Amino acid sequence: MRDSDALENNPHVSRSALEAIHSQVYGWALSRCDFDHATAEDLMQQAYVELLSGSARFDNKSTLKTFLFSVVQNLARSRFRRISSRLRLVKQYQQESVTDAIEPGVDDAVWRAVRALPARQRDIIELVFCRELTIEQAASVMGVSTGTGRVHYDRAKKALRSRLQDWAEEE
Amino acid sequence: MQISDDTLREIVSRAWQRGADDDHPSFDSVWQAARDRCSTERRRYRGFASVAAIAAAIVIGLNVPSPSDKSPYIEVAELLDTTYWSAPSDVLLPDREFDIYQDMPVLFESTEPAGGTLL
Repeated sequence: MRDSDALENNPHVSRSALEAIHSQVYGWALSRCDFDHATAEDLMQQAYVELLSGSARFDNKSTLKTFLFSVVQNLARSRFRRISSRLRLVKQYQQESVTDAIEPGVDDAVWRAVRALPARQRDIIELVFCRELTIEQAASVMGVSTGTGRVHYDRAKKALRSRLQDWAEEE
Repeated sequence: MQISDDTLREIVSRAWQRGADDDHPSFDSVWQAARDRCSTERRRYRGFASVAAIAAAIVIGLNVPSPSDKSPYIEVAELLDTTYWSAPSDVLLPDREFDIYQDMPVLFESTEPAGGTLL
């Protein structure tokens, strides 16, 4: 059904539906660009431009939230592809320093343990645990098959368990 | 003791909620900026399209042959008006020529076998 405020080039998307999930999508955009607000806002604008122009068409095959997460993910990926090798080096360095800096007993340390995971594992944990998507939806956002998504999910949980074991026992 | 799935989920989501940054730009401002950007892109696209159309028209205009240019094809009227005609396909003939009276008898009179047969 077409909403009264549906977009011209995307009849299944309405402005009010976008507004309802804006903060969640912004949170996802923020985590796509290392929590840089200016870049996240730019990503969001770009995602909305894609919807307005019809370049990204929502066909009701998934939820709007999953669809918009995928759009943001793809935009972020194409934006950072050119500098990915440089970024990978930086992140590798960050991961090493973050792993060393985990202090059990501190909530922030849990989140840092998540961030220290490999990119795909971190993404699926964030999507499933924090953004409340199913594994299937998360895999779709990440652009991988459900089976691959499950593998990343299981490995991520295993890695997190081993990192957080001591912390949980103290709790 | 191993951490259960539910506990792990709870630990991570609690940590995430604490660390989550609630400071986000309003939907209206981002939406308006996106609309502006969209219309700017559309205007720019229209500009490019009109420039491309003008350029294409110029290129086509420059490449149209003038009526005074000689046609590379055979004109029937031209053939009927004259007794002289040279086939345009002559240019495609091979350069090698042979004298039919000098070269052909050699072939006909040959009695040398080649591969068990006479040439």
